[in-house]
This record gives sequence, structure tokens and C-alpha cells, in this order.
Amino acid sequence: MEKVCVIGAGSTKYGKLQESIADITVQASVDAIESAGIEPKEIEAGYISNVFGVADKQVHLGPVVMSNLGIPEKPSLSIESACGSGSVAFREAFANVAGGFYDAVLVTGVEKVTHTGTEWTTTYFSYCSDFFYEGQAGASFPGLFASMARAYLTEFKATEEDLAMVAVKNHDNGFLNPKAHLRKKITIDDVMNSAVVASPLKLYDCCPFSDGASSVILCNEKFAKQHTKNYIRVIGSGRGGSPAALQGRNHLTTIPSTKIAAEAAYKMAGIKPKNVDFAEVHDCFTIAEIVDTEDLGFFDKGKAVEAVRDGKTRLNGEIPINPSGGLKSKGHPIGATGVGQVVEVFDQLTGKAGERTVKDAKIGLTHNFGATGASCAVHIFQSV
Amino acid sequence: MQSIFFKVYKLSAKQQFIECAKLGKVLARKCKNCGELHLATVYFCQKCGNKEFENEELEGKGTVVTFTIITVPPAGFEKYTPYAWAVLQLDSSDLRISGFMANMAKPSDLPIGSKAKIIGFDERGIILEKQ
Repeated sequence: MEKVCVIGAGSTKYGKLQESIADITVQASVDAIESAGIEPKEIEAGYISNVFGVADKQVHLGPVVMSNLGIPEKPSLSIESACGSGSVAFREAFANVAGGFYDAVLVTGVEKVTHTGTEWTTTYFSYCSDFFYEGQAGASFPGLFASMARAYLTEFKATEEDLAMVAVKNHDNGFLNPKAHLRKKITIDDVMNSAVVASPLKLYDCCPFSDGASSVILCNEKFAKQHTKNYIRVIGSGRGGSPAALQGRNHLTTIPSTKIAAEAAYKMAGIKPKNVDFAEVHDCFTIAEIVDTEDLGFFDKGKAVEAVRDGKTRLNGEIPINPSGGLKSKGHPIGATGVGQVVEVFDQLTGKAGERTVKDAKIGLTHNFGATGASCAVHIFQSV
Repeated sequence: MQSIFFKVYKLSAKQQFIECAKLGKVLARKCKNCGELHLATVYFCQKCGNKEFENEELEGKGTVVTFTIITVPPAGFEKYTPYAWAVLQLDSSDLRISGFMANMAKPSDLPIGSKAKIIGFDERGIILEKQ
């Protein structure tokens, strides 16, 4: 298996964007190519992740991107895996470079939905659930995670204020990120006083609907060394699945796919959770970050809340979680999110994270899932 | 025991499941090899991979293990808002079933551990009611 590296990364700002989905996809891709210092013609394939291209009248984004990059003859794959699309695209690219099929490939994720409004997004996002049992019965995504939150708060005696602390922490980080969607500091009271969306989750427990695109260039190590000294290695990659519907799971305070994906990624990397210096995890809702950090092995079951209270997951804590601001503050353009997490790890490990730099970090982890964790990918990266 | 109309009309597994839900029941599939119970919409045993099943109609009664009260609904649910979406642990097996529950305005209306049952199936999917 070839060693796989990330040699370039780029991202648009996340938020409400005016340009078309095709335009922002190309912008992020060009940024990644320039960051890598390569020519587009050196790219052998494109992996483009997106969920709701139909909302901006453009699906089959792959050929549009490749054409705009001046390489229409190069193959592309357009990938949908709900909110986990980006990390799944990254994994497919990783597997193809690791397997020796390509020396260098482009991975770009994108979403453009804010122009559709809250009702459209709430409705269409619910199509990512096991619709027969969930979306059809009125379960919105906040509703599904609210059900997990209630199970967690009941089982572990945690409080809604504890969940609010996750939001406050991620907004503190996102405030330092020029590309973040919600770039403002908030307080626990702000969260507690925000409107209830699906009890016990309130508006500020939820990530925003965002537009945005993120892109990275993946290559084998020989190609990387020929082009730059500024690259990072992908040392672990794992994927997993969970029953599509929450009713198919015996425990709602854990996400099976995260554990499966993490175990595979740690095994490939030959490391333990304690060796990870920081992580970008899938905090679509505050409860998700709590559950994720336990499933990833950073904290024992039921102990993540205590860790948040003790500041362990803050930027200067023992295991900073979501230094970018996470989905909560940086934003969640669902097709882009998994790629955006890799952009953050690349920036962190190559000294480009500015004020939000995690001190002395060598190993970063990304964790991204689709829907309520029905599909998941975990990747581990190391600086060179 | 199978309802008579399954034998008269050839319904798909999903349609049979829906007809059962309308009668307050959960149509489960019991693996003929290992005995594992699944919802009727599963085609291969999740435990042993076998695809031979026998139908089993379970009473759609159980205990609320978790729920949410939705105040920002998807399209089509505005007129029912607020409402609950709940997950039941069935009394008669290890299976869980989730569904829509009308007229729930606040969390104290539906404490975890409440008894509830399936009372129908319509455009809102499986309809539950607190007992």
C-alpha cells in the first residue's frame, strides 16, 4: 500500500454565499491546487461530495469541476453520503491513491442550501434519515439528536447546561476562524434562552445550515516529496456503519459506526486515542460532540460531560476538540464538512491555523458521519 | 398467527407491515435458522444472514425509552406542531419501534417509562398514543 499524503488544502468561507454551487466548488478546488503548488494536469481524478446539488440546479458536479480546472478528460466521481459525504469522498480518494491507481487526486466537498430557507432544509435533510420510520413520522434531524440527548441526559445525569458548554466552547474557537459561519462568542445563558427546536435541544445546540466548499489534494509520498515540504501523512483510515434507524439500536447514547471506524483507523495508524493531539469531530448538535468524544475513546462512557466542564476539550486543554469551531460555529455545509475537517487538520499541522493553533500538535483526527451516524469515517493524520 | 387478508391479497412485506400497524401490531420476521426477530422490512437475518423467515405479529405496546417534542417541524407537520416523536421498547420482544405522537406539548407530558401503543398508520407514518 502506498503512503498517502495531503499536500494542499483550500476552503471558501462557510455561511450564506451568493455564488453558485459550481462556482464555490471550483473556487475551493483552485485554492487547494495553489496551496499544493501543483498544476491541474497533474491531478488524475476528482472526488466531489455533495448532497443537495438539486437545490442549486447542479448535480453531477464532477465533470463541471474538472472542466473548469482545464482537465475535462480526467475522471471524476460525485459522492453522496448525507452529512458524511466529505469524509467518504476522502476515503475513496485515499483508497485509490493507497492502492496505486493514482499518484495525485482532488477531493472537493460542497453544499449550497441557505437560499432554500429553513422549512426546505429541515424537510430535505429529514430525507437522510430512515425515512419510513423517521422523516415520514415528523422526525427532523434536531428531533433525532434530541432523542439521543434525552437518552443521554437520563442515563448519565448530565444537564442541558452541560450541553450548552459545548456550544460555548466551539463558538470561542470559531471566533478565531476567519472562515467560520457563526463567528461570535456566546454564553451558556444565550444557549439556554434560545428557542426550543426539538426538546431538549435549543437553537444554539444546533449547527447552522451553511453554504461552503472545501478541497484537498491527496497524493502518494513520492509525489509529495517532489512538490513540497509542507505536507501531512494520512496514517489511519476507518469506516463503519450503524442501523439506519434509531429504533434499530439498543443504546442511544453511543453511535456504533464511530466505534467501528475509529477502531479501524487507530489500528491502521498503530496508535491509541491518548496519542491524538486534537480532533475535529461531528458536532452537528451539542449532544453529538459529547457522544463522539466517548465513542472515539478520548473519555470513558458518561465522562465527556465532566471533561467539558473541566475545560479538557478547550483549545488549551489536554485534548482540544474542534479547534476550527466545529460544525456548530464554523458551519455545516453538509457535503463539504468532512473535507473541511481535513483542511483544518492540514492547516493545524502545517502552521497555518493562526490564533487557533493547537500547541505542539503532531497528530490530528477527523470524525464525520452521515445522518444519525448510520455511516461514518475516521481519519488520522501526522505531521512530517 | 397471520391476519386473513394477507392470504387473500398478495401484499409486499412493507404493505403487510403497514396493514399490521393499522391494527396496532408490529409485523416482525423471525429467522427460521436462529430465531432472531426483525422488523418485517428486513430481508436477511442481521444475526446469521439466513433469508428464511416466518412472520410474527407482535402487540404494538411498549415503554417510551426516549422522545422529543418537535417545535420546528418539517413540511406537512405545521398543523400538528408541537408533537412528539418517540421510541418504544416493545413489551413482547427486544424490538424497538418509533413513531409520531400527536398532542404532546411539553416533555412532562410524556415521561420516559410511559406506556404507549401503536394506534395506526397514515401519512405521518406509524402513529403512537400514550396509554
